[in-house]
Amino acid sequence: MDGKPRPKGRTTVTRPTEPSSTIFLILRRMRAPLIVLIVIFAISVLGLTLMPGQDPEGRPTRMGFFDAFYFMSYTATTIGYGEIPHSFTGAQRLWVIASIYLSVVGWAYAIGSLLTLVRDRAFREALALRRFTRQVVHMREPFLLIVGYGQTGQLLGHALDSLGRRLVVLDDTPEHVDSLDIDAYYADVPGLVADGANPHMLGAAGLEHPQCEGVVALTNNDEVNLTVAMTAALIRPNLPVIARTVSPVIEHRMRAFGSPTVVNPFDRFGDHIRLALHQPSSFQLLAWLIKGEGATLPERGRPPTSGRWVVCGYGRFGHKLVDDLRADGLEVTVIDLSATEPGVIEGDASEPTVMAQAALSSAVGFVAGTHNDATNLSLVAAARKENPSLFIGARQNRPRNAPLFATMDVDWLLVPAETAAREIYAQLSTPLTWRFLQEMPARGDDWAAETITMLDAHCGSRLDGLWKVTLTEREAPALTAWLRSDRAPLGDLMRCPHDRDQRIAAVPLLLLRGDESTLGPSDDTLLRTGDQILFAGRRIARRDLLDTMTNHVVSEYVLYGRTVPAGWLWQQVTGRKPSTHR
Amino acid sequence: MSLEKVIFGFFVLLAATLNFGFFIGDISDPALHNEYELFAAVVVNLIATVLKFGDRTQIGAVHLATSLVADLQLIAATLAWVYATQISGAGMTGEATASVVSLSGGALLANLVSVALLVIETVSFNRR
Repeated sequence: MDGKPRPKGRTTVTRPTEPSSTIFLILRRMRAPLIVLIVIFAISVLGLTLMPGQDPEGRPTRMGFFDAFYFMSYTATTIGYGEIPHSFTGAQRLWVIASIYLSVVGWAYAIGSLLTLVRDRAFREALALRRFTRQVVHMREPFLLIVGYGQTGQLLGHALDSLGRRLVVLDDTPEHVDSLDIDAYYADVPGLVADGANPHMLGAAGLEHPQCEGVVALTNNDEVNLTVAMTAALIRPNLPVIARTVSPVIEHRMRAFGSPTVVNPFDRFGDHIRLALHQPSSFQLLAWLIKGEGATLPERGRPPTSGRWVVCGYGRFGHKLVDDLRADGLEVTVIDLSATEPGVIEGDASEPTVMAQAALSSAVGFVAGTHNDATNLSLVAAARKENPSLFIGARQNRPRNAPLFATMDVDWLLVPAETAAREIYAQLSTPLTWRFLQEMPARGDDWAAETITMLDAHCGSRLDGLWKVTLTEREAPALTAWLRSDRAPLGDLMRCPHDRDQRIAAVPLLLLRGDESTLGPSDDTLLRTGDQILFAGRRIARRDLLDTMTNHVVSEYVLYGRTVPAGWLWQQVTGRKPSTHR
Repeated sequence: MSLEKVIFGFFVLLAATLNFGFFIGDISDPALHNEYELFAAVVVNLIATVLKFGDRTQIGAVHLATSLVADLQLIAATLAWVYATQISGAGMTGEATASVVSLSGGALLANLVSVALLVIETVSFNRR
């Protein structure tokens, strides 16, 4: 009877909450067994009161309702105290035999129905949905809604979880959701097996929850990702949405709704490959920073920029790769199982005759890009044998095959799931890093090489951390006066609190003022209140910087070289007060 | 016509009629109130209650509530009867009969509401 028209205005997708729906389901299913049980009891009790009996003196008597009910209760439940109040007559015993069998059937039916109900799929789904909805409703911290928890989703989930971010997961594959229970997570991650394309399920997963800070659509199905992006854009227009797709058409359709961030891992490869071909240092810096905390400086790859490449596998990935290589003016020979266009060598690349057609000995690069890891590995081995000096790229599809690819020591390892996960992680964890990575290639290869040298000199070849600093009164109270003075060069901020003639082990990568960004700001850049700076460096440098920003005594020394007593009393006695105060 | 509706209406009405049959007559005269009728009223009321399980509509909820009230009243009447016949030792005196019958009278009221709801539901039912 809820046919009332909903007032127009804000759309809601969450179903009308029915906290007792599971109870109703039980009651509805138990209707028949309960009625059978009641009827059996009624017949047995009634019959027992009607059967002629005898008292010990042999006078005819009948059992009362109370005694009959008492007797049936303990008989039907198989307790059995014997015949009361007097020994039964033949007629009564005959009736009791009948009622015992009847009641056994009744109980068996009732208990059987209850057990079936507990194991029933619909019932368990109703229970799971209820528990999940309750968990989501009680989220008190901002959380991300991840739809699709396959390889990419799990990589991203673990990375974000270790950052302390809360997640809610929706996936239609039970194994993926089960991985939430099996794998170790710091926080409790509510997960539900459900279709992400269903707006009700998105609603139950907290799309309308005030703490929901973003939606990430990572299913293997582009249509589902599109639906998720659309639903999120329609229900919560300002919510950030990140969606993965490998199809340009879907990407175009996604952008029609709101402004989702679309991640196309194959497409991104193309960008990376071009970067690697033209700006090896920029690519090296990108690969280093995108790997996140704890990454060591990767070696600078030297892909051949001229000569002929051989690419095996001409699916969506192969197409993209070949297009990008050809766009760079490289000659490409393609091998695929089915020749879809002229010039493609048809056949199984692992067959020697097919491989011979590709003339590997005169090629400079080789990419094994099929969607089968075993094939890719064998192709790499075969190609090496043919021409040991080849530059070799391989596509790794499954995370469990990582050790095999590592021992093959390929020059370029392309892992689509990882690329998508890293990229989304970079966007979600530190948006400034993302911005830096986007704008960095434009500065050229030499600039990137300089930055790498600087990072290496100041912080070593291991990336300890990337962090953002906001110079506001709240986050940097000890710098307020300094920032207002209009004489606040970045270089002063970078001085070490222990010895101000030294620098802290950190490098400023990006300065964001309003919407204007400066890459690699120099030491004499003047800072203003509200500036955001992205630093890369050691953990200790991060603590030093935090000290400078929050402690007036430290900032006094770092910025002006004045030593000021820390306590109020000594400040009064000596007359030296921090000028940064107020 | 659906069999489910027939059975439902049958039990709701039967619960009310049996209850009425037991209730009618001088309130303190045990001869006018048959214990078999009380037994039948309890059983039919329980069945009617179970039939109303799991209906999520508003009217279904009120149906269930009235039935639960009737059950409660009838079970209280039965307990009063058990007390009079088994525990007090005095048997069905006029007072005991009066308390049993008046409790069943309360159940009758609930059952009448149930019947009224049934009629309302039937009248407001339009073929969609």
